[in-house]
Amino acid sequence: MQDVDKLVKRIQFYFKEVKVEEFMTSPVVTVCQDQIVLRAKELMKLRRFSGIPVVDENECLVGIISIEDVIHALEKGKLNSKISDRMTKNVVTLSKDDKITDAVKKFELYGFGRFPVVDKKNHVTGIITKHDLMTILLSKLSILYVHDTRREPFVRTENFRSSPTGVELEKESAEFNFNVDYADVSLAGTGAAKLKKRLLSKGFHPKFVKRVAIATYEAETNVIIHSGSCGKIRAYMEPEIVIVRVDDSGKGIENVKMAMHEGFSTAPDYVREMGFGAGMGLANIKRCSDRMMILSEPGKGVVIEMSFWRHENECE
Amino acid sequence: MNVNDLGKFGFQAMVNGKGEVKHGYTCDLLSEVMANAAIDTVWFTVQSHVNIVAVAAITGIRAIVLCNGHEFNEDTLKKAKEEGIALFTTSLNAFEAGGRLYNAGLK
Repeated sequence: MQDVDKLVKRIQFYFKEVKVEEFMTSPVVTVCQDQIVLRAKELMKLRRFSGIPVVDENECLVGIISIEDVIHALEKGKLNSKISDRMTKNVVTLSKDDKITDAVKKFELYGFGRFPVVDKKNHVTGIITKHDLMTILLSKLSILYVHDTRREPFVRTENFRSSPTGVELEKESAEFNFNVDYADVSLAGTGAAKLKKRLLSKGFHPKFVKRVAIATYEAETNVIIHSGSCGKIRAYMEPEIVIVRVDDSGKGIENVKMAMHEGFSTAPDYVREMGFGAGMGLANIKRCSDRMMILSEPGKGVVIEMSFWRHENECE
Repeated sequence: MNVNDLGKFGFQAMVNGKGEVKHGYTCDLLSEVMANAAIDTVWFTVQSHVNIVAVAAITGIRAIVLCNGHEFNEDTLKKAKEEGIALFTTSLNAFEAGGRLYNAGLK
């Protein structure tokens, strides 16, 4: 579970705009404070709840009763006492407009298993458990495509500077910056060609440079053909690794899995006639890079990050 | 084989290049070319727009032979000069043009 917590903590920032409302369980089963603990226990058994919000006669939240509270009551033979006597009264709540990061913070801070979501009148409108949190993150993660020749689970690789893996790639530290801000598809590759020259001048092996250049070219071409927006190429160089990040703010990829498919293309005819749009772009990037990751959502642009490790046959 | 010797096979030299060519490759899909063409290649294609120069520069292609009597535009010629990529034209189709160099030992 610790690993999961770490993972959640790390990836939440990519979805930080997601609101609590989007992933809370709603409606919520509640119990009334005047009911007896036995009633809460039965509900927990039947519905497999680990905790239930407690409300007063006006449906306002007054507490929460958890399995722990029930066990304590059981130990003391108090299953017939009122829920209001056995519940936890200081409830920490969330609002539907809170962000996913707020939820993660509260889970971390309080260590509770669940947080009721309340409106301004303190009515319970939903509940969030760790399970809800993981489900939403996983579903969001499915838009993220990861390819890693080293087969390392991407969340555990901390050795390289990379933002999807948790370590910040600072904009200022990029050694190569190029703006893809031309509409003419025939100019595609200008940035990739520049990067190629830069890498060669820094003494990288031609074979290695070719891999980087091809992958960058494909990503650059994608920005021009598909994004409908400007883009940026940034590269970070170290003797043993080069990371290239190409992002745009365009229309995004509808279905990353489909897009990865060799031969799948949404390119218009006029660019196909020029020999583009063969549906090989992403496949080519995958082939050339040691690790790639795509982050995209319709309307929110595309981020492609490619890592290239120097292979044995790519040394001087 | 020196790139500038390709003229001896009946191709018209449009822009001179530099270096040796060892391999040949024929295709009109740019991604396919980048994925498969080796460094020091002569590339047979019918694509003539300026981007083929970028593809060549990135892939390590030293010469482009434009087949079927197509002609390069000014942009392409200019860019090729800048990048040092040799350009040739021929009225032969890609199969015949490539065949000539294959028989001459290019693989």
